Amino acid sequence: MELIWFAVFALLLAGYFALEGFDLGVGLLMPVLGRTQEGRDRMVAAMAPFVLAGEVWLVALAGTLFGVYPALEGEILFGLYPLVVAMLLGWVVRDAGLWFRRRLDGAAWRRFWDLMIALGSLTLSFGWGLALYAVAAGPGVSPLHPVGLLLGALVTGLFAWHGWTFLGRRPPGAAGVPRPGRDLLVSGALAALPAVVVLAGGAPYLLEHSAPSSTLSVLSVMVLPFAPVMVAAQVWVWRTFHPGKGTDRIPSFF
Amino acid sequence: MEALDLARLQFAVTGGIHFLFVVLTLGLAPLVAIIHTRWARSGRALDLRMTRFWGQIYVINYALGIVTGLVMEFQFGLSWSGLSHYAGDVFGAPLAMETLVAFFLESTFLGLWIFGWGRLPKWLHVACIWLVTATAYASAFFIMLANSFLQNPAGAVVKGDRMELVDFGAMLTNKALIFSFPHVIGAGLFTGGMVLVGASAYRLRRRSEETEFFTGSMRVGVVMASIGISLTVAFGYGQFGGVQEGKFNGAAGVPLGLMMEGGNLFSFVVLFFMLPLIRSLPRRRWAHPLLMALTPLPFVLAILGWLAREVGRQPWMIWERLTVADALSPGLTTGMITTSLIGFTVVLGLLAVTDYVLIARAVRRGPRDLALGAADDQCAPALSL
Ligand code: HEM
Repeated sequence: MELIWFAVFALLLAGYFALEGFDLGVGLLMPVLGRTQEGRDRMVAAMAPFVLAGEVWLVALAGTLFGVYPALEGEILFGLYPLVVAMLLGWVVRDAGLWFRRRLDGAAWRRFWDLMIALGSLTLSFGWGLALYAVAAGPGVSPLHPVGLLLGALVTGLFAWHGWTFLGRRPPGAAGVPRPGRDLLVSGALAALPAVVVLAGGAPYLLEHSAPSSTLSVLSVMVLPFAPVMVAAQVWVWRTFHPGKGTDRIPSFF
Repeated sequence: MEALDLARLQFAVTGGIHFLFVVLTLGLAPLVAIIHTRWARSGRALDLRMTRFWGQIYVINYALGIVTGLVMEFQFGLSWSGLSHYAGDVFGAPLAMETLVAFFLESTFLGLWIFGWGRLPKWLHVACIWLVTATAYASAFFIMLANSFLQNPAGAVVKGDRMELVDFGAMLTNKALIFSFPHVIGAGLFTGGMVLVGASAYRLRRRSEETEFFTGSMRVGVVMASIGISLTVAFGYGQFGGVQEGKFNGAAGVPLGLMMEGGNLFSFVVLFFMLPLIRSLPRRRWAHPLLMALTPLPFVLAILGWLAREVGRQPWMIWERLTVADALSPGLTTGMITTSLIGFTVVLGLLAVTDYVLIARAVRRGPRDLALGAADDQCAPALSL
């Protein structure tokens, strides 16, 4: 049972990096590629239908951390206190930018929230690199080690590239046939790689600190029957808003 | 102030802001689902506009529910690691279920609903908003399950220096849960109904246009508010059977008393004034300022309810098992908690104010140029990227 829940945990982590990675990547690319307001509108419109279904992987990951590894939950989050607070604020500001940017007319309003989306995405992406380093290095190590900074840059770069692939490798506004599919799978896998490597290294430690079997069996009974529904819901999102099926049409709600 | 007080303040502030938006979500989600279903069956243009207008208000409100919820989820690990250390094997389970079974699905289906206008077949689209409603309620249930465990640690025993889950059935039938969950749901429906009434009163009073739209909305709101207040009051009194002894002897008695006064008063106003006049109320302009003035009060009562419940629990984190002081993360300094308190309060506070301004503006603007569902009628050609 510990193994099943470790697999769930690993899947959620990899899923988050692969599925939310490109949303963050698009956010990172907005100031770079989206020079015009219409360009940024199209970039946001392209990722918009996926954001809600993407960020929940991290929410679920955190919940699983609490339920399956309660002994580590406090240790990890508290150990990274300033970083977690900064990443949370980045996440909040990024989300607020998406929800708010079109709720008022006015160029300055939208430009401001577009900037918030970019800054929030940057905080989260870079923060993930630092966090991965700090978790791997163990307690008491500052994430602001050169290796941590390097990892931050690496994750940021991977997310940006993943976002680029998602957008179809072309700056918005340019014509051409989108090339999702295999490219996107590759960039998604690469975006998830750093997290998966760190997780693999920590597997024995995690397994050792699993919640007792009485807790895990209750969780299994309550959650695992819904796993097919969760997968189906995600597949439904991807079938409905298949990238390239005109998902960038504007006005979009975000 | 000490780190402990600051950490409590941080939880109270973020949790308070979170609940202000959640209580409205709980009320608006079923309302929007019902109106959407009505449109799917009738095909009337008015029902479509009502779905999109109230749906847009619901969704703007939902944004703040999400972002404040993110902060709530991580706060346990940041400030209260003593809790997960002592009782994580029990308390973590309902929170894990909430994120996996409820929120994961809620957010996924909400994305499908928001962006599925003009893309999903009609009835599948309706199914999405019902799934959003169902999972939102499941979410509230699991959170109340976790909270009720803190009020009354049923189903768990202390083994060594930790708590262990022995009887999940007992946890589910916790006497601190079975009446408080419907009480909160009733409060949500009541709040949602009163927002429909108040917003419609504002529109009906100010302008003559859209009379049909807001007359219909006000009536729906009155019905929902009547159902909501009845549930709230009935299960409110029902809760006293499950309340810990002596809980309201101290400071918690004050918010409890105010909530009950307010609840009793509201049941009079709603059941003996608004409901009997439901046909003519939209025309009685003299009543509209009163209805508008009532709109914020359900939110105040809901916060008072939480204050009573949580202040009454002090000094315990888990009733008679673990104190709040012992649940604090060991090593949490005043500096750390002050910084995060300022950060979260400023950012979430500003966003909350912004969100209410946006909701107010959406009401003032009325049901035209709605962004939600715009794909349906404008359908800008899909220029390829
Ligand atoms: C006469 C009417 C009411 C009675 C008798 C009543 C009773 C109660 C009691 C006894 C509690 C505390 C339970 C505990 O500490 O474990 C409570 C909590 C609460 N109340 Fe009320 N209440 C009433 C009206 C309202 C109204 C009108 C609202 C909101 C619109 C509301 C919202 C809440 C909330 C959000 C809580 C916290 C969660 C919970 O314990 O359910 N109440 N109420």
